[in-house]
Amino acid sequence: MPDLAIQTQGLRKEFRTRRGTRVAVSDLDLAVPAGGVHGFLGPNGSGKTTTIRMLLGLARPTRGTMRLLGEPVPDRLPAVIDRVGAVVESPKFSPNLTGRQNLLLLSRSIGVPDARVDAAVETVGLSGRDRDRYKAYSLGMKQRLAIAATLLKEPDLLILDEPTNGLDPAGIREIRETIRGLGAAGVTVLLSSHILAEVQQVCTSATIVGHGRLLATGTVEDLLGGSTAYRLVVPDLPAASAALSAAGVPVTEQDGALRVETGDPAAVTRLLAARDLWLTELTPVRADLESFFLQLTEADGEDAA
Amino acid sequence: MRGLVRVELTRLRWRRAVLLLLLACLVVPALIAAATLWDTRPVSEAEKAEIRAASTQEIARCERKPRQYGVRPARAEARCPELVVEWQTARQPLSLARERGGSGIGVAGALTVLLMLAATTFAGHDWNSGSMSNQLLFRPRRGRVWAAKAVAVTGVALLTAVLVSTAYWLTMWAAMRARDLPVADGGLSASLGLGLRGAGLAAAAALGCYALTMLLRSTVATLGVVLAFGFATLVLGDSLPMSGQWEPLDNIAAVLANGTEYYVHVPPSCYDGRYAQGRAECDDIRELPLWRGATYYGGAVVLVGAASVLSFRRRDVP
Repeated sequence: MPDLAIQTQGLRKEFRTRRGTRVAVSDLDLAVPAGGVHGFLGPNGSGKTTTIRMLLGLARPTRGTMRLLGEPVPDRLPAVIDRVGAVVESPKFSPNLTGRQNLLLLSRSIGVPDARVDAAVETVGLSGRDRDRYKAYSLGMKQRLAIAATLLKEPDLLILDEPTNGLDPAGIREIRETIRGLGAAGVTVLLSSHILAEVQQVCTSATIVGHGRLLATGTVEDLLGGSTAYRLVVPDLPAASAALSAAGVPVTEQDGALRVETGDPAAVTRLLAARDLWLTELTPVRADLESFFLQLTEADGEDAA
Repeated sequence: MRGLVRVELTRLRWRRAVLLLLLACLVVPALIAAATLWDTRPVSEAEKAEIRAASTQEIARCERKPRQYGVRPARAEARCPELVVEWQTARQPLSLARERGGSGIGVAGALTVLLMLAATTFAGHDWNSGSMSNQLLFRPRRGRVWAAKAVAVTGVALLTAVLVSTAYWLTMWAAMRARDLPVADGGLSASLGLGLRGAGLAAAAALGCYALTMLLRSTVATLGVVLAFGFATLVLGDSLPMSGQWEPLDNIAAVLANGTEYYVHVPPSCYDGRYAQGRAECDDIRELPLWRGATYYGGAVVLVGAASVLSFRRRDVP
């Protein structure tokens, strides 16, 4: 198995519209390490799904190169597709066929024995409902069926685009546990999600994109380590805010306190003390992916504007 | 590839709309056969007696003034009842030759339309439901996917059309034998030949419709194009300055009837009797052989198929 399960270099996708050309993905260099669960984050319209669709051969890149499990795609996609399971956007099956019939058509197309359909159906908890027509399924059941389809191949790489959409809380927990389990079992999972807490809970590494560009990538720990915030309480908030701003420390006023972004809290206390501003509280704000994500994407939005 | 074709045949078998259309391929020709047999049924003695009883005034008038009815007075008593019965049962006996230009064309036409609908429904459903992208996530070689579906659609269409057409003509032949009607030498083989050519046309039309649906990615759009073509052929055909050899209906006739003739406008000088005789350009009836009709429609299917494959291989799949 190569070191990188997914790799793109200079990947770009342009769509021609009536108003001109729209860039969905712009020179994206993506590197997803083999093994573990990798989050793929970005606001709506940031190019996540387009990137996934290009990796899977459903869309042609305007330029750039891509590799899946070490093989260049789309040229060598047929050679690796049997090792790649994927759910792209909403599940898409024939509505008048039963869930089981839909899975049988897919499994027979790759020469997989019908018994694996039973196993996949059981794994996702659809036993007993697999002979119902797909159009009678709830959104959650459709999502489970799509995940069952990915398991027909026993993949080395799983690409999941919003897999918990429409699931109830119990279903979400089950799917998250399934994803964690697959990651632990050596399957590489690329999890595209807008639920940041989900990525933080499940993923070992993540890539954040905005406007089709790479904004940040690395382990979740590293990404969060880059963002250190503290909550300060002082009697004279305006004076403290002015002093910090003048010293070039990013500061915002929040709920009767100040939030400062700094890697050196001692320097902040010294600076305020020098101006006779005495702290009554200094608390590290627990970094989370959501704040980091919002910080990155907001900055990207300003750049793009 | 064989495995993919088997999967597509299963997909076809599991699709209810396609099954209903295939069922219609049996029912509609069966209805046409029933109507044909009914319309050509021999007149029974009971039917004759019933008509005679209901037409006593007409028969009496004929017997009084037989010459007005074209009957010689000496034979009036015997001929008038027969004549009145014949008028009211103006039914031609069953004839394979006549049906080859009538109900046989109807059967071929019905099969063609129904199999075109089945093909476009089959392919269109994959696009409408979005399941095409799912299929490509398992089998990304798009050319093979296109070909497997095409083989399944064309194979089923051809098999259905051949079986139904053959059954139709054998039924007609058996009915003639049962009614003690003479069958001309070669009549059955000529009828079966028409059925097979019609089946070939229906299968080619189904393949063309499949290819067009894969190109346009929509059943509705495909039906729109086909209807527009049909409208242009039937309504605008005569008003367009088009030679008969390019007219769609003439070419269909050439395929079904193993060659046909079409009319051409000749130069005004041809109407001058002194010069017209023996000049090739003054012959206003031209031959349109089977191969020309087959090339006409085969060429159209190849063109649409090539565009469809190219488009399917290159365009993004939603």
